[in-house]
Amino acid sequence: MSDLNSDIKQLIIDALGLEDISISDIGDHQTLFGEGLGLDSVDALELGLAIQKTYGIKIDADAKDTRDHFSNVTSLAAFVTAKQAA
Amino acid sequence: MINFNIAAWRAWAPGLDNVADWQAWSQQPQAIAASDASPDVSFLPAMQRRRLSRLARMAFSVGWPLAEGHEALPLVFVSRHGETPRTFDILSELAADQPLSPTQFSLSVHNAVIGLWSIMRGETSEMTALAAAGDGLEHGLIEACALLNEGAPAVLLVITEEQPPQAYEHWIDDVPFAYAVGLLLTPGSQWHLTLTSNNATSPSKTQWPHAIELLRHLLAGQTSFQHAWKNRLWHWQRTP
Repeated sequence: MSDLNSDIKQLIIDALGLEDISISDIGDHQTLFGEGLGLDSVDALELGLAIQKTYGIKIDADAKDTRDHFSNVTSLAAFVTAKQAA
Repeated sequence: MINFNIAAWRAWAPGLDNVADWQAWSQQPQAIAASDASPDVSFLPAMQRRRLSRLARMAFSVGWPLAEGHEALPLVFVSRHGETPRTFDILSELAADQPLSPTQFSLSVHNAVIGLWSIMRGETSEMTALAAAGDGLEHGLIEACALLNEGAPAVLLVITEEQPPQAYEHWIDDVPFAYAVGLLLTPGSQWHLTLTSNNATSPSKTQWPHAIELLRHLLAGQTSFQHAWKNRLWHWQRTP
């Protein structure tokens, strides 16, 4: 699980071009969008695409709970794990 | 005829960061080898500069210091070919049937750079993105002078081109190297620019891009010169 968290942090850094940030700068429960890491709506789309490509899963952009899945690294990891098991 | 003052200028190309570099280059001008070198834009926070392509970084690096101290500064951005590396990336993804990067797509319009400029500087003055032919410098000056005539105390003109990807090299022959030139223009009659028809006996183009030719003339202190582009001949004249 913690490995997946690290992988997702690296994915965030690579996909969004966060040149001055390393894995250790992103907390497992740190809010990703708006407050916290400070990502914006274009980042959300870019990260969604990167997650789908990397983990071979499908994300429904209109689903109500998608926003919750993207709130932090831990919730994203849980989402990826659940989708891959499904 | 249009009249204007060039209050200050800045320029960047790979390896040419300051006036002394340009002075040396312009005494023995030669093509600059293609490289990934990018100008320093560390004056911007990392979260803001991460989406800036090299072309945007070039435009910001020449424009930012010129805009210093100006509360509201209209901007005329000129690039004939725009961000060809980005265009090529997006088209390559499409050809491979891959989903497009939303970030790439959102920045793939010609006025994306001035949009970023507006957001990062909180600048709400009028801004224009032009794609003219090889004489974009002069077309940009016409636009800038229109803004000066409307009462703007100063206008920033940025001319920039990106080294095109190899796939385009047979079609793009007027970008010898990546460059950006920024001119801070103010009302005045230091410079006069006139357009006439170019006749068949004159050369049909300059050796270097017009903005680079202008730098050479400025550095050499030349007060009268011409820039030809096909059937157009631009006459530059400086008041003694």
